[in-house]
Amino acid sequence: MSSPFDINGGACVAMVGKDCVAIACDLRLGMQALTVSNNFPKIFNFAPGTYLGLTGLATDVSTVSDLFRYKVNMYRLREERHIAPQTLANLVSSSLYERRFGPYFVSPVIAGINNTTGKPFICGFDSIGCIDFAKDFIVSGTASDQLFGTCEGLWEPDLSPENLFETISQALLSAVDRDALSGWGAQVYIIEKDKVTQRLLKGRQD
Amino acid sequence: MASIIGHNPHSNSIGYSFSQPTNAGNKEHSFYPYTDNGGSVLGITGKDFAVLAGDTRSTSGYNINSRYVPKVFKIGGDQETGEGAHILLSVVGFAADGLALKERLDAVVKMYKYQHGKPMSVRACAQRLSTILYGKRFFPYYVQAILAGLDEEGKGALYGYDPVGSYEREQCRAAGAASSLIMPFLDNQVNLKNQYIPGSGEGHALEAKKPEPMPRDTVEQVVRDAFTSAVERHIEVGDGLQMLIITADGIEEIYHPLKKD
Amino acid sequence: MADRYSFSLTTFSPSGKLVQIEYALNAVNQGVTALGIKATNGIVLATEKKSSSPLIDPPSLSKISLITPDIGMVYAGMGPDYRVLVDKARKVSHTGYKRIYNEYPPTRILVQDVARVVQEATQSGGVRPYGVSLLIAGWDEGVEPETPQAQKGDEEEPKKATGKTGGILKGGPSLYQVDPSGSYYPWKATAIGKHATSAKTFLEKRYTEGLELEDAIHIALLTLKETIEGEMNGDTIEIGIVGPPADHLLGFEGVEGSRGPRFRKLTKEEIEDYLTSL
Repeated sequence: MSSPFDINGGACVAMVGKDCVAIACDLRLGMQALTVSNNFPKIFNFAPGTYLGLTGLATDVSTVSDLFRYKVNMYRLREERHIAPQTLANLVSSSLYERRFGPYFVSPVIAGINNTTGKPFICGFDSIGCIDFAKDFIVSGTASDQLFGTCEGLWEPDLSPENLFETISQALLSAVDRDALSGWGAQVYIIEKDKVTQRLLKGRQD
Repeated sequence: MASIIGHNPHSNSIGYSFSQPTNAGNKEHSFYPYTDNGGSVLGITGKDFAVLAGDTRSTSGYNINSRYVPKVFKIGGDQETGEGAHILLSVVGFAADGLALKERLDAVVKMYKYQHGKPMSVRACAQRLSTILYGKRFFPYYVQAILAGLDEEGKGALYGYDPVGSYEREQCRAAGAASSLIMPFLDNQVNLKNQYIPGSGEGHALEAKKPEPMPRDTVEQVVRDAFTSAVERHIEVGDGLQMLIITADGIEEIYHPLKKD
Repeated sequence: MADRYSFSLTTFSPSGKLVQIEYALNAVNQGVTALGIKATNGIVLATEKKSSSPLIDPPSLSKISLITPDIGMVYAGMGPDYRVLVDKARKVSHTGYKRIYNEYPPTRILVQDVARVVQEATQSGGVRPYGVSLLIAGWDEGVEPETPQAQKGDEEEPKKATGKTGGILKGGPSLYQVDPSGSYYPWKATAIGKHATSAKTFLEKRYTEGLELEDAIHIALLTLKETIEGEMNGDTIEIGIVGPPADHLLGFEGVEGSRGPRFRKLTKEEIEDYLTSL
């Protein structure tokens, strides 16, 4: 229980649908069993249609999200273009591996649609930057076991944006309800080409 | 439930349910009489039946001991065929303890019938199992047990236990290595948690869907889905799915192959 | 302690000039002419390969270099300085980009990185400026979604530049010149070195919008012919092109998603084929 990954709690999941992707996170911030905040989103926007979810140690979630905000802003100024989700994935990977022997205690998740190809993209990482290029879904956080179960059971290929929203929401809510360290509401992003829908889910408040 | 021996899935970076070897300079030797043989079981009740299912893989560490070691048993029936049984027991955890517990409960149920001249009710058997488990409070059976049968009204009955006898009657329960994967799926699909009636209202007025007892074929499908999902993501679950269904007509056994990788 | 006395040799003169840089440019203007022409579907880099002695083994001499699979470079000026810059350009394209993003830098980014190296030599202590001008040619994959080509073709509005360079968003070819001062310029066609002025005059006459790569190679050879001092053949001319992906240079085939380098040097035989049809 003293693992830095489990102190603050939190969960994040990304899923692929037909010409769309979704990414969702819970809103809890805790210190061990004590809930400190129910408004701590773990998903950050880095380009139109490109999102990064971070779970793990809350201080590192903030630090890493700020670090990538800086790096991606510098990229955009230098290159006069938005960063592609694939490029962001490699940036995240190399940046985390730079801290190979003193890692940030985070498990990042990326979801986005590549503006050039129009193809959906998701991936996940371990804390030292090894990329998991999944074709279906990526889970992370203290409810990752539960999310694996719900996602594996509910997800199917080629879901429409509406059905993908329902699937990712049910998967996340049911998973965090079985994890004491996650929950207290959720945030869901449905990313389509040229359109992003953000929704807040109330969920169980315990 | 598994507060005593239940491994914490987040305690080490990889969530295996067995301990990892350490390379300390000086080795402290000790006798540890338990092994985790992995696997998962799951039970769901219906209106007039109960289903108890478990995978048939037996593991120790990364090794697979066997691809067919049943974890779900008929209690109180014929020694060989199980005929006449009207209670089901599933045990997951340490297989030797599970087997010993099953033999003991089987004997108890049979003795009950000899002495009382009537079969033991599931309710009574559930209480007795709790007593048996608590009897070994300080050297527990390293198992999570699920007991299933039909109650006095003929409805499906399911009881879930922790290793030292704390128990509860439930509609559904998953236990074992992949319980953390299966249980939230069951909450959603069996008890319809987080599901609401579309258009029934805004905000707090939104009406939650009420769980209804599911028909048998639906239950069997949910069980199969739960296990195929668990097999994908948990290395200790696989090989075969043994499903026992108890109805007023008796006990039916179904075997489905699962992935062997 | 030593660094206390390592003043930059490049020091402003009272008139505001950095004469060391002007001297470096003088070195460039004594160098063998090199030129580059941008076409719609590629770029050509060309230069003369002059050897001081007939005993030199020509194939061992190489003045046009691959920096990344899609970017090539040529120079006018001091050979040794150029080779140092080639090394640094190749290195920075990995340390400063590929090892971070797992993809090669766009041409402008590489040009800026090389220009930074060149500029630092005009401001640092203990060094002299590089005695070379560079022509850097590269192809960028666009980041904008590929729009279905307008079929009408006849009356279209002139294409609008979408980025500052007009290249990074749309993709396509780009050609840059980098000078010893560290300044860089994008060109449609240009020349550097001894006969740069006359070559550029020639290019101004010959260059047309909507040029194809084959035409550009042809013009490059004609331009070179105007200024060349020795004989023109496959051994004395060097040509590098940025064109369609050269999958035959991959060394393997059948791997999905892999693409050959766009930059390649023409072989002696290819050059001679072009020369015979000149």
